[in-house]
Amino acid sequence: MSTASIIWITLIAVLGHSEDFLGTTLLSRPLVLAPLVGAALGDVHAGIVMGATLELIFMGNIKVGAAIPPDVITGGVLGTAFAITSGKGAAIALALAVPISILAEMLLSWLFVTRSVFNKAFARAAASGDWKRIQTLHVASGLLKPLLMGTVVCLSLLLGAGAMKSLLDLIPAWLNTGLVVAGNVLPALGFALLLNLMFRQDVAPYFFLGFILASYLHLPMIAIGGLGIIVAMIVTGRDTRADGGDPGAAGHNGRSDGAAAAHVLGAREIRAVFWRSMALEANFNFETWQNTGVAFALVPVLRLTCPDRASMARALERHLQFFNTSPYGSTLILGITAAMEEQRFKDPDFDEESINAVKLGLMGPLAGVFDSLFWGTLKVIAAGVGTSLALKGSLLGPLLFLAIFNVPHLALRYRLTFTGYRAGMRFLQRLQGSHVMDRLTQGASILGLMVVGAMPATLMTVGTPLRIGEGVTLQSVLDQVAPGLIPLGLTFLVYAGLKRHIKTSYLLVGLLALGFCGSLLHILN
Amino acid sequence: MIALCRIDDRLVHGQVAFTWVPALGINHLIVANDQVAGDEFQKLALGLAAPRGVTQRIMTVEGAVAFLNDPASTPLKILVLVKDVPDAARLARDVPAVTSINFGGIRSREGGSHVSKAVALTEGDIALVKALLEKGIELEVRQVPTDTRQRLENLL
Repeated sequence: MSTASIIWITLIAVLGHSEDFLGTTLLSRPLVLAPLVGAALGDVHAGIVMGATLELIFMGNIKVGAAIPPDVITGGVLGTAFAITSGKGAAIALALAVPISILAEMLLSWLFVTRSVFNKAFARAAASGDWKRIQTLHVASGLLKPLLMGTVVCLSLLLGAGAMKSLLDLIPAWLNTGLVVAGNVLPALGFALLLNLMFRQDVAPYFFLGFILASYLHLPMIAIGGLGIIVAMIVTGRDTRADGGDPGAAGHNGRSDGAAAAHVLGAREIRAVFWRSMALEANFNFETWQNTGVAFALVPVLRLTCPDRASMARALERHLQFFNTSPYGSTLILGITAAMEEQRFKDPDFDEESINAVKLGLMGPLAGVFDSLFWGTLKVIAAGVGTSLALKGSLLGPLLFLAIFNVPHLALRYRLTFTGYRAGMRFLQRLQGSHVMDRLTQGASILGLMVVGAMPATLMTVGTPLRIGEGVTLQSVLDQVAPGLIPLGLTFLVYAGLKRHIKTSYLLVGLLALGFCGSLLHILN
Repeated sequence: MIALCRIDDRLVHGQVAFTWVPALGINHLIVANDQVAGDEFQKLALGLAAPRGVTQRIMTVEGAVAFLNDPASTPLKILVLVKDVPDAARLARDVPAVTSINFGGIRSREGGSHVSKAVALTEGDIALVKALLEKGIELEVRQVPTDTRQRLENLL
């Protein structure tokens, strides 16, 4: 591997690990990073296909709260790089990425624990009202992750590339075929993990609707997503007309309703909060979680609403308290907080304690809403469309993946900053009164399940070479009667395992073994 | 029937609404907290987070005890959420059906130290935990259903 390639790939890993500065925009997913690695090594096409293969396996691997999933950034980048330089296919990239990502996750967990030692330095800076130092610390501590993992990737490439190639060259053809089939079987785990999150009896038919549209009618993923949106609108639209929905306009206790009188904060500051919210998770740690990200995002607000050092110190200390929410909805809370900080500045009788009461009261509930919307639905659709195109080698795959997720994400995140600031609690009351949330989550689960239903039929290529008569294969009969039955069956098999609380790692190994043995015995291909 | 009794200082949030409720097929979510039960704002916020298809009740710990001991609650699949160890201990004392407690998330506070990534206990908590263990109540640490189930006594 050339020095230039090593530098490029290290930078790609650093970019992936910098996602926590960049708004959790899915830049770090294998579907995005693997094509970049491919470009660095002069084979974009291979990178795209490997990215899609890895994305499928790691699809259900969702980060919720502090549950840290395997580090697909390090695993995916190294797996792809080693596979391409050795002239191997996606199966090898996968076989390398899985163990590497599990090892890398251990290192990351360690970082998230040890990072807490910086909390003392943050507290000292806050006590003296030194917001500049808070900013510097947030960025410096945030850079630890990309730098540490970048070093790991760089060293692995320097020391491992040669040895890895000779090792991979030893792999005999039968082993390679087995790995390919195992790789074809593995997406069942990702789909089953998604099902486990999303499957509910009342929306179950939509899963099968998606499956039938894909397996019998061969509709592409984009068409199924479009149909899903229409179905979701019809179903949820009917519900509301029956409900009527009362906006419930009555003001609550006015805790955050910014008075119409002279604003101290302008659009500039609120916009700055939005931009800074992108770095909310940069200094994530297991003790206080996203706290320094909150303080970092609110600095532009505090600079205008804290006239002296003492009030700045109190405000910084206030916002360095434990905080954790979904980054996608974080700006709503930050906007409301900005309005309350402004109110505190204008009204000497304002109860400072109430700022944190509202902030901490909202973080959990809103995390539930936004995580399920973004992780549970939007990312599933983006990944469904993106991987289906990328498996065919199309560059549109990774591009649409990013666009489908981030256009709504960034538009909503931006608007919510202003909504939170201007309407505050009234907005939340209106939301609850009008059942918008209900309709949204209902519609989202219908759409999400339809797309997941289409996945086994569209994205899994496993079949059977068994013959049932002279010149007639079982697969050809299946294709006529029940296409996609084998992928669907495998998905439900894994799902049943998950329901019986069998560990994910056992299911992973079991599926690998099943695919491998199935290939050796000529039952699966 | 109580499917899960969980300590989580963020009460209803992503891990609860998004993983536990579907994994256990919950249809009743009880938030047992004296302070939240008297706070209209927090009730509003929690109302937004209520997972679809689930009845959510926000009540005092005392109210939750009465509800859970009422035979009428037997056919329901209930997830009980409390904010801290003392409230969980109160439930375990007064509700015989609480035989197991899930430690989901307790942030670190003054005097607290971590026993796992997401759970920090104070001396006072640990005394309560020991009493619960003596009563034969199972204490397990898991953030989401797919985590490995760890016994709290092995982490102390």
